[in-house]
Amino acid sequence: MKKKLLSVLLAGAMVASLAACGSTGTDTTNTSDNTNTEAKADDKTEEKTDATTSDATGSLDSIRLVNGKPEIDEQLKTLASKYNEETGNVVEVETIGGDQKASDALKAYYQAGNMPDIFFVESNDIPDWEGKLVDLKDEQWTEDTDSELVVDGATVGFPYSVEATALGYNKDLLDKAGIDPSTLTSPAAWTEAVEKLDSMKDELGITAVFGWCAEPSNLGWSSGTHVFGQYLDAGLAYDDRTYIDLLNDGGKIDEKRMKDFADFIGMMNQYSDPALVIDGNYDSQVAGFAEGKYVFVTQGNWIAPNILSNENYSGFEMGFAPYAFEDGIDTIIGGVPNFWAVYAEGHVDAAKAFLQWCSEDSAQQILVEQAALISPYTDCKYTADAPFAASIAEYIANGKLSYWHTMEKKSGLEDKTSVIFQQYAKGALDADGFTSTIAQVIASYYAN
Amino acid sequence: MKGTSRTKRTSSLICLVLGIIITIVAITVDILATVGFISSDQWYRGPLLILGIIGIVLGLYFYPTIKHHRNIINFLFLFPLLFAFFVTVILPLFLGLFYSFTDWDGIQFHNIIGFGNYTRMFKDPQLVWSILITFLFVVFDMILVNLVAFLLALLCTSKLPGMGFFRASFFLPNLIGGIVLGYIWQFIFANVVTIITTKYFDRAYSLLSDTNTALAAIVVVYIWQYAGYIMLIYITGLNTIPGDVLEAAAIDGASPLQTLFNIKIPMIAPTITICTFLTLTSSFKQFDVNLALTNGAGFVSNFMGEILSEGTQMLALNIYETAIKSNEYAFAQAKAFLFFVILACVSIIQVRISNKKEVEL
Repeated sequence: MKKKLLSVLLAGAMVASLAACGSTGTDTTNTSDNTNTEAKADDKTEEKTDATTSDATGSLDSIRLVNGKPEIDEQLKTLASKYNEETGNVVEVETIGGDQKASDALKAYYQAGNMPDIFFVESNDIPDWEGKLVDLKDEQWTEDTDSELVVDGATVGFPYSVEATALGYNKDLLDKAGIDPSTLTSPAAWTEAVEKLDSMKDELGITAVFGWCAEPSNLGWSSGTHVFGQYLDAGLAYDDRTYIDLLNDGGKIDEKRMKDFADFIGMMNQYSDPALVIDGNYDSQVAGFAEGKYVFVTQGNWIAPNILSNENYSGFEMGFAPYAFEDGIDTIIGGVPNFWAVYAEGHVDAAKAFLQWCSEDSAQQILVEQAALISPYTDCKYTADAPFAASIAEYIANGKLSYWHTMEKKSGLEDKTSVIFQQYAKGALDADGFTSTIAQVIASYYAN
Repeated sequence: MKGTSRTKRTSSLICLVLGIIITIVAITVDILATVGFISSDQWYRGPLLILGIIGIVLGLYFYPTIKHHRNIINFLFLFPLLFAFFVTVILPLFLGLFYSFTDWDGIQFHNIIGFGNYTRMFKDPQLVWSILITFLFVVFDMILVNLVAFLLALLCTSKLPGMGFFRASFFLPNLIGGIVLGYIWQFIFANVVTIITTKYFDRAYSLLSDTNTALAAIVVVYIWQYAGYIMLIYITGLNTIPGDVLEAAAIDGASPLQTLFNIKIPMIAPTITICTFLTLTSSFKQFDVNLALTNGAGFVSNFMGEILSEGTQMLALNIYETAIKSNEYAFAQAKAFLFFVILACVSIIQVRISNKKEVEL
């Protein structure tokens, strides 16, 4: 009896699993069955007709958007429902990311024939999708922004947020020490300021001047991409590609500039919290800054939500100071880190219409005020109430934003360089050793 | 009688032929859509394929004579399993092998480059290094895990009180996933072990920040995770030693050490073989602890004339990073095939040895 029961259960489980397989196999062909028919009379002719999705609610097909930023998942869903409310069209938002890299998940989607209409891309993903993305150069929104992603003359990426990074500072502490952050534009000024802050440690109640973390296994993206990006772009005009072009030409570096950069990093190593610099982590770095233990932090505006949610955050003002490793460097680096691309075999018109709507007023309000993004659109009236937003806006207004070409370096390079930052922080390398080692590692990675 | 069997035969033949035609059409549409001659939105190709296969099966099923009938029924019952095995194991294996000869980037491939990936593989210092440290890791693991597990098993089979509790707690680390475990130990190495190392060795930073010590740290964590599991197998082995043999030894005046070396160890020799191979294959495939603990980071100042940044990256992690981070799926496929060959050799040797000793488990 027992055996019979068990075998029935097992057989049931098998049938259920087969059924589950069957349903995932077919759902790509009829995704829109569940959207109720309420078609408006609109004779918009489409280049690409798709029989299976003609019964969407609005005038256009229902589309899918794959988002790679889990932190704004909820806000994008709000955005989609707002779009549905205003136009009657349907956008489904799916979020991947967190521990999984979005570009990988998308490759699996592609293999499974389950591609979304709009998806998350970073600029160095574009060559992989060659011939599969729609050129958006005739869209109206391209006139309201300079940040769209253009690759080989084709506009392939829709920008939706600007991020920036430099040395984030705690304004309260700088005021107490009598330092004006706008004067920090030369190595000499930095040295002077840092020594002053270091001597006032007890008065200011700080652990160290810098909250800088060169731990490679979890924070390699910070040192290997963002801090390294300062070498590539700090002090350059927005469209100046000097050092990225040099780097992508077989992994060459400018030794003089790298040496100056190394000296600056050396100063950061010297005045950092020893518990953080070699084997700390993101959480303790950001928490330390939020609690006023560090005057400067080597992250970007994305740490804002973590700071605001820290219970020991005193409400101090913050801003960005440049990595002035050469005289006269007065820019921060930033730009649009990732984009939305439109898949050529999807519902192109519906996707284009949605993107156009996203660049307009009601969508910008949600993206800026709720998702706390910094808008790349010139006609956006809203300003985020987030920390750093004012500082970034000021740099942008003064034309002091350098584009972060660090996203265009060969992918995976950050894993090769981040360890060298750690060795330098540990004292296993000196400034010259850092310069020559990093040059050698970059050259051999590009050669491979 | 003859007439019915003839009509049956013709109808089954029609069924069969129709099924084959429909299947071929469905597969052609599929291939054309993949290559790009027609739009890939052909919703009917799935149902068509299923219809064709049903046609073939029905045709075979209704084909006269009992013998055929039985064969096809046998096959039908095996079909779900065979199909699943084919789709999830055989097909990816050959597809992977094919991709390793191309320049596939995970989305599409442009050229077939023959053995390019394979020759390039052995010129890549990072990969050679990864293979070397993987072998080193395997050797250390095999010896240390078995030693620790055997000692724990001896302890747990002794008559001390509270052994049930200890047995469970030694086994517990094996139940925690490797990723979680890696992060826990990362914290321990960075915040707890540093207190000791600062005091006695004047080293303020974590063991994980130096390649040599980081490798040792991975071995330690791996032993901690895996020894409990192997211990359970040793306990079973030790418990199967007949009591009368031990009793006879005790009467003959054998010391505990003599009992251990001359009776217990020879009696559990088959268990030792099994445990050795279990540790061998699982430490070859080491991935999760490696990923969570160091993510491969580690500085090697000179290996084959190059500076390496990923000194603790083992073979499995190397393959993963080649595909995911460097975005070279085809190159990673070639490495994965090498990995497959190594593991296959180990498994074959294992099966041979196990068969020779006629292990019972």
